[in-house]
Amino acid sequence: MSHTYQVGTPLEEVAVKEVSFEIKNQSFTAIVGHTGSGKSTLLQHLNGLLKPTSGYLTINGHKITPETKNKELGDLRQEVGFVFQFPEAQLFEETVLKDIAFAPKNFGKSEAEALEIAREKAKLVKLPEAVLERSPFELSGGQMRRVAIAGILAMSPKILVLDEPTAGLDPVGRFEMMELFKQLHQKEGLTIILVTHQMNDVANYADHVLVMEEGQLIADTTSKELFSDPSWLKAHHLSLPQTTDFAYQLQQRGISFETLPLTEHELARFLAPKLNQRGKIDG
Amino acid sequence: MGKLLLGRYLQGNSFVHRLDPRAKMILCFYFVLIVFLCNNWQTYLLLSATTLLCAVLSKIKLSYFIKGVMPLIWLILFTVLLQVFFTRGGTVYWQFGPLTLTQFGLLNGVFVFCRFVLIIFMSTLLTLTTPPLAIADATESLMAPLKKIKVPVHEISLMLSIALRFVPTLMDETTKIMNAQRSRGVDFSEGSLVKRIKAVIPLLIPLFVSALTRAEDLATAMEARGYRGGEGRTKYRRQIWQLKDTVSLVFFGLVTVGLIFLRN
Repeated sequence: MSHTYQVGTPLEEVAVKEVSFEIKNQSFTAIVGHTGSGKSTLLQHLNGLLKPTSGYLTINGHKITPETKNKELGDLRQEVGFVFQFPEAQLFEETVLKDIAFAPKNFGKSEAEALEIAREKAKLVKLPEAVLERSPFELSGGQMRRVAIAGILAMSPKILVLDEPTAGLDPVGRFEMMELFKQLHQKEGLTIILVTHQMNDVANYADHVLVMEEGQLIADTTSKELFSDPSWLKAHHLSLPQTTDFAYQLQQRGISFETLPLTEHELARFLAPKLNQRGKIDG
Repeated sequence: MGKLLLGRYLQGNSFVHRLDPRAKMILCFYFVLIVFLCNNWQTYLLLSATTLLCAVLSKIKLSYFIKGVMPLIWLILFTVLLQVFFTRGGTVYWQFGPLTLTQFGLLNGVFVFCRFVLIIFMSTLLTLTTPPLAIADATESLMAPLKKIKVPVHEISLMLSIALRFVPTLMDETTKIMNAQRSRGVDFSEGSLVKRIKAVIPLLIPLFVSALTRAEDLATAMEARGYRGGEGRTKYRRQIWQLKDTVSLVFFGLVTVGLIFLRN
């Protein structure tokens, strides 16, 4: 099964211009692009916060056209979980558990059911049991974010949309957060759509990449392919992941790669035998 | 929310734009006072002409002023209707129970309408041609004499500037939080009144939390940069009283003389 998004939305300020693409179910898609490139506008179409001004999109069988009524969007909002930038700003309940249970209650679950779901999702995002009855405002920034994400997961979405989920976290927090999404993608079978500025995350986690520039889609490709062309990236003011950049610089100094590695692991596997050889010659 | 014209500034370089904000504020308040001196059509005509002259001098399209009246139109119409039906005197045209339609009633209705429109036009002119921060600065400068009786003038003006500065920020924040809660299944626009009021709680609490955090950050940032209150503080944007400001005041003085001469 695949679902097709065909967004064509010349807004008044033309934030997104005649964009057309497809995202496969259970894929991990990254959307990259500079501030103001139309990423956020595009994202808000994915759960019907915005409707296209022309064209249409189909998500899990829900078709959204400019004429779609807000009432019809309830189901869609439940299927597409949307984690906003700095999602901890959406917390408001007295306790962590109640906050996570907020969305399922809105979508018609009973109080008890909702709390049950909340407990389960809190475990999924690795919140310690001890914080569940505390006020969300007493937690650390990273934990608040986990609560907010659990609050979205509590709707049991099939698609998870993440708008710069690691912004403002320290490196460890960032790594843990990305590992969490990886786990959700692999174990829970969620389709993940991630907006990010971190090319390292794109290289390490995403299999499908969309690049936006000035409201237009300028690349629809795999991360492997995207990072194999450093000069194209440079022309569009995008950076390479650290590992690829390192390999690229090695290449310019005469070490040839078949394809540029994306992850530390790949690079290590390529370099280790070479270093061993060198060791033998030297020794 | 973009429709709200109150406090919206339109950039420009007209005569009115270049007036000292203090002069504009004095004149605006003064105008509101002298509107109440009007009591016949000649006087209203004089003030309408004055308002129109100011509007023309500002080079702002008339439609902006009309948009400024729109949010208040129901209040105006209600007041006008009260005047029309409950004023007695002169020829009676129509009567039903306590409601009477009389010559004076109609006349009063028209006058009340003109009074509202003139006042709104003039205050819209002030906000359209003066940046909010300049208004805050002008307030401080105009209230300076009150310092003698221990009114915290600088603090009041600071609060005003901060409030004005954060209106757009908080509006953005509201949109963001509304979107986030909508994504969690809150419906702000449908359902019974009780349901809608309940839907506001998940919006208001995060908004207050973020406003408080922001206030704390701002206070820290101000103290870190050595803010010590208004004592001995100089201004980056200085307001300079010029000849044209005096001329404007004199002009309004002449209008007042004309007004007193024309009223009966």
